[in-house]
Amino acid sequence: MANKVIYAVYEDPEQLKDGARKLVSNGIKVKDTWSPFPIHGIDPIIGVKRTRLAIAAFMYGITGTCLALLGMWYMNIFDWPMNIGGKPSQALYKNLPAFIPVTFEFTVLCAAHGMSITYLIRNKTLPGMPARNPDPRSTDDKFIIEVRTGDNHGHSAEAITSLLRQTPVFEINERQY
Amino acid sequence: MHSEAAIREPLILGHKTYHDITQDIVGPIENKAPRGWYVLITIAGLIALYGVGCITYLLSKGIGTWGLNKSVDWAWDITNFVWWVGIGHAGTLISAVLLLFRQKWRMAINRSAEAMTIFAVIMAGTFPLIHMGRLWVGYWVFPLPNQFGSLWTNFNSPLLWDVFAISTYFSVSLVFWYIGLIPDFATIRDKVTKPGMKKVYSILSFGWSGNAKAWTRFEEVSLVLAGVATPLVFSVHSVVSFDFATSVIPGWHTTIFPPYFVSGAVFSGFAMVQTLLLVMRKVMKLESYITVKHVEYMNIVIIVTGSIVGVAYITELFISWYSGVEYESYAFINRATGKYWWAYWAMMTCNVISPQVFWFRSLRRNFAFTFFMSIIVNIGMWFERFVIIVTSLHRDYLPSSWNMFHPTWMDVGTFLGTIGIFFTLYLLFARYFPVLALNEVKSILKVSGESYKKEAAKHHHH
Amino acid sequence: MSSTKRYWKDLGELDQHPESIKGRENEFPQDLAIDQVLGNSSITGASTGRRDFLKFLGFGLGAATLAACETPVIKSIPYVNKPEDITPGVANWYASTFYDGDDFASILVKTREGRPIHVKGNPRFGINRNPTLAKGSINARMNSSVLSLYDSARLTGPKAKGSDTVTDWAEADKAIAAGLASAAGKRIVVLTNTIISPSTRTAVEAFKAKYPTTEHVQYDTISYSGVTNANLKSFGKRVFPNYDFTKADVIVSVDADFLSSWGSTSEYTWQYATRRNPDQAMNKHFQLEARMSLSGANADVRVPLKVSELPKAVVALHAHISGNSAGADAELMKATASAAKALMAAKGRSLVISGSNNEGVQVLVNSINSILGNYGSTIDLDGHTWFKQGDDAAVAQLVKDMNAGSIGALFIAGVNPAYSLPNAAEFKAGLEKVALSVSFSGYADETASLCSWICPDHHYLESWNDFHPKVGQYALAQPAIRPLFNTRQWQESFLAWSGSTSSYYDHIRSVWQANQAPEMGLFEDNWNMAVHNGVVTMPVTPAATASAFAGDVAAATAAAAKASANAGEFELALYTTEAIGSGQHANNPWLQEMPDPLTKITWDNYVCMSPADVEKLGLNMYLGEKAPASLVTVKAGDKEITLPVVPVPGQKSGTVAIALGYGRGENGEKVGKAACVTDHNGEFKPVGKNAYPFAALLDGAVNYDVVNVTVTSAGATFPVAITQTHLTDMDRHSVVKETSIATYKSGDKRAYNHPHELAVHEDVNGDGVINALDKKPVAEFDLWEEHPVEGVGHRWGLSIDLNGCIGCGACITACNSENNISVVGKDEVRRSREMHWLRLDRYYSSDMTKERAKEEGLGKIDMYLEMEVPSETPTVMFMPVMCQHCNHAPCETVCPVAATTHSNEGLNQMAYNRCIGTRYCANNCPYKVRRFNWFNYVTSDFAEVNPAWDDLGRMVLNPDVTVRGRGVIEKCSMCVQSIQAGKLAAKKAGVPVEDGAIETACSAACGTGAIVFGDLNDKKSKVRGLADSDRSYHMLEEIGVKPNVNYLVKVRNTDEAAAPHA
Repeated sequence: MANKVIYAVYEDPEQLKDGARKLVSNGIKVKDTWSPFPIHGIDPIIGVKRTRLAIAAFMYGITGTCLALLGMWYMNIFDWPMNIGGKPSQALYKNLPAFIPVTFEFTVLCAAHGMSITYLIRNKTLPGMPARNPDPRSTDDKFIIEVRTGDNHGHSAEAITSLLRQTPVFEINERQY
Repeated sequence: MHSEAAIREPLILGHKTYHDITQDIVGPIENKAPRGWYVLITIAGLIALYGVGCITYLLSKGIGTWGLNKSVDWAWDITNFVWWVGIGHAGTLISAVLLLFRQKWRMAINRSAEAMTIFAVIMAGTFPLIHMGRLWVGYWVFPLPNQFGSLWTNFNSPLLWDVFAISTYFSVSLVFWYIGLIPDFATIRDKVTKPGMKKVYSILSFGWSGNAKAWTRFEEVSLVLAGVATPLVFSVHSVVSFDFATSVIPGWHTTIFPPYFVSGAVFSGFAMVQTLLLVMRKVMKLESYITVKHVEYMNIVIIVTGSIVGVAYITELFISWYSGVEYESYAFINRATGKYWWAYWAMMTCNVISPQVFWFRSLRRNFAFTFFMSIIVNIGMWFERFVIIVTSLHRDYLPSSWNMFHPTWMDVGTFLGTIGIFFTLYLLFARYFPVLALNEVKSILKVSGESYKKEAAKHHHH
Repeated sequence: MSSTKRYWKDLGELDQHPESIKGRENEFPQDLAIDQVLGNSSITGASTGRRDFLKFLGFGLGAATLAACETPVIKSIPYVNKPEDITPGVANWYASTFYDGDDFASILVKTREGRPIHVKGNPRFGINRNPTLAKGSINARMNSSVLSLYDSARLTGPKAKGSDTVTDWAEADKAIAAGLASAAGKRIVVLTNTIISPSTRTAVEAFKAKYPTTEHVQYDTISYSGVTNANLKSFGKRVFPNYDFTKADVIVSVDADFLSSWGSTSEYTWQYATRRNPDQAMNKHFQLEARMSLSGANADVRVPLKVSELPKAVVALHAHISGNSAGADAELMKATASAAKALMAAKGRSLVISGSNNEGVQVLVNSINSILGNYGSTIDLDGHTWFKQGDDAAVAQLVKDMNAGSIGALFIAGVNPAYSLPNAAEFKAGLEKVALSVSFSGYADETASLCSWICPDHHYLESWNDFHPKVGQYALAQPAIRPLFNTRQWQESFLAWSGSTSSYYDHIRSVWQANQAPEMGLFEDNWNMAVHNGVVTMPVTPAATASAFAGDVAAATAAAAKASANAGEFELALYTTEAIGSGQHANNPWLQEMPDPLTKITWDNYVCMSPADVEKLGLNMYLGEKAPASLVTVKAGDKEITLPVVPVPGQKSGTVAIALGYGRGENGEKVGKAACVTDHNGEFKPVGKNAYPFAALLDGAVNYDVVNVTVTSAGATFPVAITQTHLTDMDRHSVVKETSIATYKSGDKRAYNHPHELAVHEDVNGDGVINALDKKPVAEFDLWEEHPVEGVGHRWGLSIDLNGCIGCGACITACNSENNISVVGKDEVRRSREMHWLRLDRYYSSDMTKERAKEEGLGKIDMYLEMEVPSETPTVMFMPVMCQHCNHAPCETVCPVAATTHSNEGLNQMAYNRCIGTRYCANNCPYKVRRFNWFNYVTSDFAEVNPAWDDLGRMVLNPDVTVRGRGVIEKCSMCVQSIQAGKLAAKKAGVPVEDGAIETACSAACGTGAIVFGDLNDKKSKVRGLADSDRSYHMLEEIGVKPNVNYLVKVRNTDEAAAPHA
């Protein structure tokens, strides 16, 4: 028997959450949800793990700090120290106050851009990528649950849909895959 | 679902569904633009062209076409630079700081405010470039390995700090803005029917799908970017103020400059946001999203920052007297009573006195008056920078070098030009980009939408 | 008889070896394929290998490509055999002499690759040499004269009237000889400026010998006939005396601007300065004058008087000194009392001079000096000068005769009567009646363009000449470059026309040889030494009897009274400026752009008026970029002139003053580069207007004081280019410090040179408590660990003595010439964009001071407003300001690209190539000495004014200094090129750089020794000594930028103690 994918379309994020809860409580694995804006609280229900982007950002930031300080030390202290307005060019720490602004800006630069790029890549959102949402209305006003029979052996498509019908679902589409 | 106190004014008026919101925002993009839009962009475009002409002439002839002289080596150029950077600040502040503070009212305005930021910073960046004597070697401000051997930039120079601050600020704001735009582009992509537009917006939307994990990441990124953008926005104008604060010129050499500049920036930024939004809500028919409440909130920010600026002015005066330094005290007496007294008092009136009228609720909830005030504040803030730069330079230490500055038509032309370019860009944005953050506005519809609040209230009583 | 010798190429040929015979036929041992390739039309036919062909092809292609990418080359022809004395890159200095009829000085000419590029005073010889400093004193006109050599308006050959092309000398000589022949019987007149050249005189004599009807008339553009005639009357000698200001303890000058224009200034300036050192016996200088002159600005006591009061003042002074007060004005007796008292106290050690050209007045002055016994000490009649021999009466007579048609031929050398004569119109009319008129002017100027022939003279830097400035003083001028054009020295023309074939050079030698005393030994040696030194001094045998005063005082008094009779509401004083002088240098852009020492105005002459009168007439008081000056019309009889009005504090109310020497080329004559420029209306016009017509002949001398003129507003305005718009010093004591000799002698440094101190948290004064009394000088404070400057290698610095600086501005033009500073023209100067690296700040004193405001309880705002107003009789401060080369330079810190950094020799360096032109450094310079190239000043847009544009003018550029392009900042480099050259010389000699071996352009040009350059780390150096002296201070010391330039407090010789500067 061919695998089916079931799309349950809701009109409200809260209703969708109810639907998701029902499925999950019945041991049915929800593949994914599609919505026009973030549905707060859906992640734990369907078991989406927490993202580690923030940690990445921190790493990028630290890298920026080090690069900035290293660069300025090399250019103004090590490679070619100059007497500029009598300011100390003998050691990094002596001239550090003047280096703070650039260090900060460069840190932010690296953190922000590093994280953004990572984000775009992880999300597979890059120029020319195809849209993968099953239904164009999901970016407008519809909230969709995706369930795959392939993931839920022992639960027939009918069983799943009947479960869904018990929730204020707007419509249910089934598709072969 | 969490609801909010009925007492709070709704942020979205009328009975709207998610679909209505999409319709209201995406509709205009598909359909023909209102006549008002065409009128505005024609005017703006012409001024922009004039400006481009002036800049071309400036670059071909030399900086001498401006009115600068041996004592006043900066005047309108850097005044305009600081003015534009300042304006830019509002956008980041609204989208980043208000996000951190979870201010829902930001959602209707942050998109266009950020757009304003981007364009303002572009205009700001123009001046440090064209004010250079030798633009063609301007790339030397970047610490690039070069054929001259160990020839690096001078990291002691506030101007170099500016290079890093402004470029970081610009690129980060741009990214922040675009990441927010992606889901909305997706909405447009799935909405529009014209194949051409569909193609364009599907490229712009980077293939956004809006599944659960993507939204999680989206919110994380927004939050962290807001987190780094907040100190950034404060740092940028602080660094700009270092250009003056770290110098030796009386009237520039002032330690209160960083906070003073930042609040001034926010002040002028919000004024410019008002100028733009009040026009846009009419032209683009966004009355139900940009409400009197939004305007009132912004006016409150204006009165607060305006007062901070006022305090800064007074502090300056006090310190100049209290320090007992001959040059300091003269610099400020000269500001208020010297040859440029009119600039000083224009600044005082526009920035310190006039915003105080916003203590009156009726006035701060009045669209027409707010619009008028936003213009006044922008004029005042331009004069603030003019006063700081020109009146400090035209009479500094040696009376032998005291001099007046007289602007030429080129000074005026380049400034007007940037205003023209700015509005042209903004109008294009308003025409082809989602002017509201769709996904965000939708997310608060059921909480802050007028009709839904009424509903909620009813349930409450039973 | 033909030679029987046979030469053979090789042994093979000797024994007629067949190979060898064959080999002799063709030059090359084997055939070159190239002949076949290039020779044959069809390559196919050639036996050339494909490879060879490709080689040629490749070579050809490569060659063509290389030729194509070659950058355009300006051809310079290398020496075939190098002159021993010219090394490319190494400057040669030649001793020569500057004499233009007005000024005389022994100079050194700096040449590079055979081009004269700089002129400075001769530090070893000459009357203008300051022996205490070993420096030659010269003025701005002298060191700028090198530029006029390269003036594109100079005539390139002899030129007949009417023809617009130059011709050759043969033709000119033929025509002139013919003209002279036809003029036979009629009088021939040679009209020249004062000739102090023995050889020139003999040349003219030679001409006389051939044309016996020849007369020689001398004419001084600025006349001193009054003085010389008076000396004739008083002492029987019609000479200009030799003054010695070094011997004068008291100087009373009645309107004689002896530091700027009167007499032999190149001597007086250094002589005066040697007596202005407060640590030695300082002279006391009284100046009684109508306008504010440079001398007046330097005076200890300045008494402003109306023009008509000046002769009376002399009478009064005479009355005081002689004790016979007949005909003396009571008021003026009072005004002159203090001066008289001082004079009486300094008999034989004093000097009274008068700028009046009135014989009577000068006789009285002579009488005063003889009563005071100044003859033989401060005034020398025996060792008198040969200057100023001009005779106005003779000139006037000449003009009459010309109009009468009794003059057959007129030769004009070194003067421009059609421009400078008061009765120029008559002269022009007369000139038309003269059959043959020849001018030797280098330009087709006002006079020359009217003459039947112009026989252009060499520029003086192309000429040989000799001079006899004073009894016992001889000088030589030698050319520093071969003549640029087909010109001929005018003396040589005379020699030619008198039939002599010898060059003027040979002529001079013969004259000198003839006059050499037998005991002087070999002539060649003496001659070479003379040429090398440029100066020869002979012992003076003093006259047996000191000539006694025999003037008629009564008549003189009457004449003086006549001079000041029927004075009107306004009185006009004509004067000459520091920059333009009598007008013959009006075509020099450097001089036109040199700000007037007092009014700071460039590119114009104007009506100087007292602020009170300006206010009364309701004219513009404050001038600036957008604040033009009001035009007024000054009328005297039928003469009138309309000029902008400039308020000059200190000028006597009721007096106006106008500078002579402007308005050259009014009728479109080509008088030189900058004499005419395009004005703000786009019209090509002369700079300023000609005021000579106002002068008039009185008692046989031209009188420059017009006691009755009317001044009416012309109801229009006129933009003036002014480099310093603010008048007063705003009582800023850390900028300028001035004190009185009394205060200075009190010995308490704090009274006149208070150091800036900050309280510290340690017991500095050791009184056991830490309080506000524990202070340290700001110099000891530092935010961070300093870069070592003290005692590490060299640390170049300047010390500027505000007492020594008389404000002449020679340093400014010297700097222009040394550092290729662009001339930017009137319009740019009006926008305050002059490029001068070295400027001369002028401050008038104001009645309002901080102390006074405190006493009067005046508010700060009012106080500052009143401080902007100069007092009615202000004292004047001159302050040369160049880059201060701060050790903590604010400009360096702010440059984003490190284009300006600090050298380890204390110099603030500017790398033009690295500059991106943000101008941040200029903003952050507390001294505002940085200059920005607002446009590309070396383009055709500025061709009219900037000599660096046209090919000829470019030759004056100093090859050691970059010409700056558009968009970069420039500033004083402390003549780093000279420093490097000096260090190199010392290195080659294997000795440390000795003090004084290196001079900056400004210090070398400063004959008064106000600017001293040296190594601050050399404990024995002069500059170090000055820097450590009590008078030394740093401008704006309290802001802690630690300059390497220090100033010495100005001390005036006034008795009352100056208010201490807290």
